[in-house]
Amino acid sequence: MQNLVSHEDWKSCFSEVAPGLLLFARQWVQSAADAEDVVQEAFVKFWRRNHKIENRALLYAAVRSIALDFIRRDSRRARREATAVRDTDDFSEPQFEFEDDTQRALAEAIDFLPCEQREVLVMKIWNELTFAEIAGALGISQNTAASRYRYALAALRNTLQPQ
Amino acid sequence: MNDLSQIEKELRKLRPARPSPILFERIEEAMIDSRAVASPARQPRKPSGLRYNWLSLGFGLAAAAVLVLFAAVKMERQETGKEIAQTSREPEAAPLLNRAQKSTSTDKFVPAGATRLVYNTRDEGLQFASSSGQPLRRMRYQTHETWQWRNPTTGASLRVSYPSEEVVLIPVSGQ
Repeated sequence: MQNLVSHEDWKSCFSEVAPGLLLFARQWVQSAADAEDVVQEAFVKFWRRNHKIENRALLYAAVRSIALDFIRRDSRRARREATAVRDTDDFSEPQFEFEDDTQRALAEAIDFLPCEQREVLVMKIWNELTFAEIAGALGISQNTAASRYRYALAALRNTLQPQ
Repeated sequence: MNDLSQIEKELRKLRPARPSPILFERIEEAMIDSRAVASPARQPRKPSGLRYNWLSLGFGLAAAAVLVLFAAVKMERQETGKEIAQTSREPEAAPLLNRAQKSTSTDKFVPAGATRLVYNTRDEGLQFASSSGQPLRRMRYQTHETWQWRNPTTGASLRVSYPSEEVVLIPVSGQ
């Protein structure tokens, strides 16, 4: 019955999930600062409601919901940011820590994936959610989650394959 | 398939950007704030429940008072009805009341009063009936009759008024 309330050392718990959560939030919000705002709100809400930490799908669903609200709340600002990001591509904050150019190319390829494939990929690879959990968080079937994942991998393979 | 596994491996090597150390501090503050908000909310639960009980008790008492008031008013009305029935039992109204009591014996309405107001009397002269040789004075009375009934249980009252005309033949004795 471990939950975030009884888990006094929430920091170790959060540090495990934080990078994946931030990456997940970055699917909708452009800046790292906004993503941190979203994650903070979702995590505190999750903690307040006394949910079990094992119920990760709820946490990701909360992040997604808050991120979408964030976009709706501040759509004008988001549009401005999107334009600014497009104009100054070099200024965009990286979502990953790169070790080499191959990884940089892979990260860029991820950006070009359709949103619904990208979010499944992020949840599966960097958050280690099962397809059942992904389906629960996104409100889709497990088969749909699995097929989106496979499509995402195939698209990345096609992009990165040497011509 | 192997290609996809290879891509998966490559993806797992990618490390997402780490959160800023400030985020931990911000979350800690938010959690402390939420604890501070949550704890006082839990403590006054008992008093708020007590207040709710007092409120229910107050409403209950008010409802009871209103019921008692209604009952008192109803009883008062019934007594007034009886008084009206008694005071209106005048000699000329008594037969009408008896008739009313008979006619309303099946329902729950009780006769409460009856009045008969004679507003015009006309002497239409002497006449002779065919069966007897004694002269008769023909008198015509124009009246206005009012009947009242009251239901003791509900306090409802019924009042009927109508005009009536009556012709009376009074034997005239010669002296």
